[in-house]
Amino acid sequence: METDSLERFSPVARHLLAVLACALMTAICLLLRGVFDITNIAMLMLLPVVFVAARLGRGPAILASFVTVGLFDFFFVPPQLSFAVSDVQYLVIFAVMLAVSLFISHLTASLKASARDARQREQRSQALYSLARTLAGTMSADEAVAAVVRFVREQAGGEARLFVPDVDDKVREFPRNTGPLSMDRFLTIEAVYLGGDAVGASATVNLDGSCLVLPLVGSTRRRGVLFVAAHAGDDHLYELRSMLEAVASLTAIALERLHFVDIAQASQLETEAERLRSSILSSISHDIRTPLTVLFGQADALALAGSHLDDQEREAARAIRDQAGRLHEMVDKLLDMARLQAGKVNLRKEWQPIDEVIGASIQLLGDALREHPVTVTLAPELPLVAIDAVLMERVCCNLLENAAKYSPPATPITVTITNAAPSLVVEVRDQGPGFPPGGLKRVFHLFERGTAESSAPGVGLGLAICRAIVEAHGGTIDASNPPEGGACVRFSLLCGQAPQLEPEPSDPAEAQP
Amino acid sequence: MNDAKSTVLVVEDDLQIRRFVCQTLERADYRVTEACTMQAAQDEAGARPPDLVVLDLGLPDGNGVDFVRVMRDWSRMPILILSARSAEADKIDALDAGADDYLTKPFSVGELLARVRALLRRADPDSSPGTPLVRFGDVEVDLVRRSVQRAGEPVHLTAIEYRLLVVLIANAGKVLTHRHLLREVWGAGYAESTHYLRIYISHLRQKLEADPTQPAHLRTEIGVGYRFDTQAPNA
Repeated sequence: METDSLERFSPVARHLLAVLACALMTAICLLLRGVFDITNIAMLMLLPVVFVAARLGRGPAILASFVTVGLFDFFFVPPQLSFAVSDVQYLVIFAVMLAVSLFISHLTASLKASARDARQREQRSQALYSLARTLAGTMSADEAVAAVVRFVREQAGGEARLFVPDVDDKVREFPRNTGPLSMDRFLTIEAVYLGGDAVGASATVNLDGSCLVLPLVGSTRRRGVLFVAAHAGDDHLYELRSMLEAVASLTAIALERLHFVDIAQASQLETEAERLRSSILSSISHDIRTPLTVLFGQADALALAGSHLDDQEREAARAIRDQAGRLHEMVDKLLDMARLQAGKVNLRKEWQPIDEVIGASIQLLGDALREHPVTVTLAPELPLVAIDAVLMERVCCNLLENAAKYSPPATPITVTITNAAPSLVVEVRDQGPGFPPGGLKRVFHLFERGTAESSAPGVGLGLAICRAIVEAHGGTIDASNPPEGGACVRFSLLCGQAPQLEPEPSDPAEAQP
Repeated sequence: MNDAKSTVLVVEDDLQIRRFVCQTLERADYRVTEACTMQAAQDEAGARPPDLVVLDLGLPDGNGVDFVRVMRDWSRMPILILSARSAEADKIDALDAGADDYLTKPFSVGELLARVRALLRRADPDSSPGTPLVRFGDVEVDLVRRSVQRAGEPVHLTAIEYRLLVVLIANAGKVLTHRHLLREVWGAGYAESTHYLRIYISHLRQKLEADPTQPAHLRTEIGVGYRFDTQAPNA
């Protein structure tokens, strides 16, 4: 504003201007001396003091006060053109005049100073609002940092630098290396970032008056550190501390928001990829299963129905059916493995007794176990386990199928379930030749067959699938050749805390003893 | 075996599977009609209500589950679902909506015919003996006196065990989903508490099955529910 135009002048010039103003007023009063009496002249002589205080500041105003009293004495108080005073009562006028003019200059100058402060504060809050708006709308961390740096330069007259944690949770400048930084400052920055409670939730460390280190406190964790260095020779930074703290918290919110935007985008991408994968898998599986279903069914129909077929042809039809069935099993296994490897396995866990799944697997395998009696031994009082029944059934089926496949006909298969708190252990044993020595770990690898060119059919996926499923449940699986002979696969599942059953109200009328 | 030939409606969009299912049923002396879309199936079922529907869940113009729902609004005819192995959720939805049984692809002629026969027998009001005595294995359940005997010895069942057994017996041969059983026996508030059901089934097996770990009558349909059969599978 135009008042500031006079403040541009150097202090000396301003004092000269003050004296000039007093001289001007004296000249005017000299002209009016015939018209006004001396008391009115005294009033007029005070005017320049007000003007000087308002326009030129406190120092020139005080000078003007004294100069005014001096000039008044010299030119108007009899004897004129002399500092001598004829009447003592004039001394009272001088004293009052001086007091009034000093008081006016003080009042006006401080009013002006506080008006200037208010203006500056308003300007800063405007800038802070606009920074908040910018940060709320920004879509990249670079933009956010640029906005903060600009704000600090314009409003606080300092250089801001941002330090954010990298993947290893070490603070790094962002964007990288905008200038040199002494080691002890960097250590302070690191300490403030890691500080946590030691430094306090919103600690501001004032290094040596020329710079401030402010933590960026997000809602869940610290998002980094804002470092502000004053320009050389400037030490008012500490006064701006509360404003800079506001800037730090705005920055923290912005960085946090950007962080969550990133996470949301990543998880959306992942969901998309997951959906794509599973839709590809299910369309492949549909496309392969449909012809196999027809092949299997038609060959079966042929083998059963064709009275016009001779035995050999019927046998051929049966073979086609069996091979189609086998092919279907392999496709199922490949697709299972593809699903298990495609990413996160979505378990539909429910609390259930493990023996139910084993019983269902035996029932499902049916004919495949025809030649092997299966005995299931349960420890008493087995706890429930939280498992995905469909997947766990695949594990049991694969293990039982392997046991049947690799052991001579008519030999029994035993399934033993023991309670080895905190785990439940399921063991499937056969009486075949056992696993190849030295290969007990390898059998769980993909496409690993018990014997390289075994006559037993299979693609070497069964145990790999078992391992993937058991591990998805947080369990472990291993193979062994027990000293009694045969092969043994044992897997264990953590029991966890099964939900309690509400006891059933006893009502003897409902059921018969 | 079909005096008044039963009619089966085959709803399947894949021509080859449809042809195979139709041929199999025709050879077994059923009258067969076919449809390849949901709309056609609804029209056909409305115009000439069949005795049984064989339904593939993935139809080009809609979900088979919706078809089941619409059918159940006006008919109790048995519905047999054809489904892929890895589609448990669809299977459960269809069974919850009112389908009676499912068959996993690929299936043999024997399995298909056995399921169709069993469903038609259940649906036939004349075949139901209407007797309060149900026998399976060495167990005899008297639904009037609410008593259960095994090999001549009385078996004590708790109230819930008995209620569960009765629901299973009343739906013999049919797949009952976990949710359905929980609703029937425990009430709607327990629809997600499958561990209750599993524990009570396990109690029933211990009391009534010759080998509780390999049950012959109270059978598990993994991931789906349970099925009660009066006859053991290979007996």
